[in-house]
Amino acid sequence: MRQEHLAMMSVPKQKWKPITGPAQALRQGTVFEDLNLPFFVTADQSEGQNSPLDDQLRDSIMANLEKSGQQKQREGLMRKIQEISFTVDDLRLYMDTHPQDQEGLRALKGALKKRQELLRDFALAFYPLTMDCMTSIMEQNPESTCYGWSKGPMPWEGACV
Amino acid sequence: MWLYEKRLQYPVKITKTCPKTAQLIISQYGGPDGELSASMRYLAQRYTMPVKEVGGLLTDIGTEELAHMEMICAMVYQLTKNLTIEEAKTAGFDAYYIDHTTGLWPQAASSLPFSAVEFQSKGDAITDLSENLAAEQKARTVYDNLLRMIPDPEIRDPLKFLRAREIVHFQRFGEALEMTKERISEKNFYYFNPEFDKRQAAQAGFCKDHI
Repeated sequence: MRQEHLAMMSVPKQKWKPITGPAQALRQGTVFEDLNLPFFVTADQSEGQNSPLDDQLRDSIMANLEKSGQQKQREGLMRKIQEISFTVDDLRLYMDTHPQDQEGLRALKGALKKRQELLRDFALAFYPLTMDCMTSIMEQNPESTCYGWSKGPMPWEGACV
Repeated sequence: MWLYEKRLQYPVKITKTCPKTAQLIISQYGGPDGELSASMRYLAQRYTMPVKEVGGLLTDIGTEELAHMEMICAMVYQLTKNLTIEEAKTAGFDAYYIDHTTGLWPQAASSLPFSAVEFQSKGDAITDLSENLAAEQKARTVYDNLLRMIPDPEIRDPLKFLRAREIVHFQRFGEALEMTKERISEKNFYYFNPEFDKRQAAQAGFCKDHI
């Protein structure tokens, strides 16, 4: 147990506990339940239930816009990429301050592998999210004359996609 | 160096125009406790950090803050992209519209432009990490204030996410402070500045292991 000292701040070091699944983690903003400290204004919306309600809200607003099957598929896969990538992001910060933690490392390895697979799937089905993703496309389709990096909507367009 | 990934860290899908909300949210773009300020602060401090892992953490959090800045800009963009002239006359947004139309420009809600005076990089590890702990709390407070004021779930959703990140960053900076303190005698943490007083730092066991 570290000592506290006069005239100096102290924050206890977080200990590893099993992390939340990627979907829940993205919704609540962290993979670590111990760091999930919501604000009362939004805390009554229980984490598991709010997201489907929000999706319903959005879908009903977008009801007059026809979302093609392909668009729904693309948005679904994008969501999965955001979820697993966020798990990587949060674990990365944890590992920065816990570089020897083997359990954290194991979780990070699993998430990284899943993320690579999803990025590749997305690039082959839709468009590359990074320049490195272009490699997957070029390998699969060496004759392609398409500059993939210019494909796909810009990320800030949101609902107008 | 930096690479770009063609997605937002967390989705932003806003379907209703609201310049008044945009004028408030823009504080997290160009305001003193906003994401751009946070990013510049951490990316500036990292170069001289005596504990290498802390430099790594500052790089990673500084980079994440750029992704958050992107989310805030996406929100302001979506809130104003279909703006009509009548909507532009909304009190508070008309002045911004005159100078920037619906373009993005980093300023606070008070219309103070972004500047380096909004953050500090003091060149002392304990001072800078203390600054960062405070910065994360200030950002969290701004998100609290925005969440109280904005009822629309489309806007609340990403704000709630961004607020949660501030708390996690605070924890990490706390741990970084502990990592730095570990190398200094607990009898007196202020005896020397581990970034500048090289002889004392070497005696205490700080080593620049990348040399």
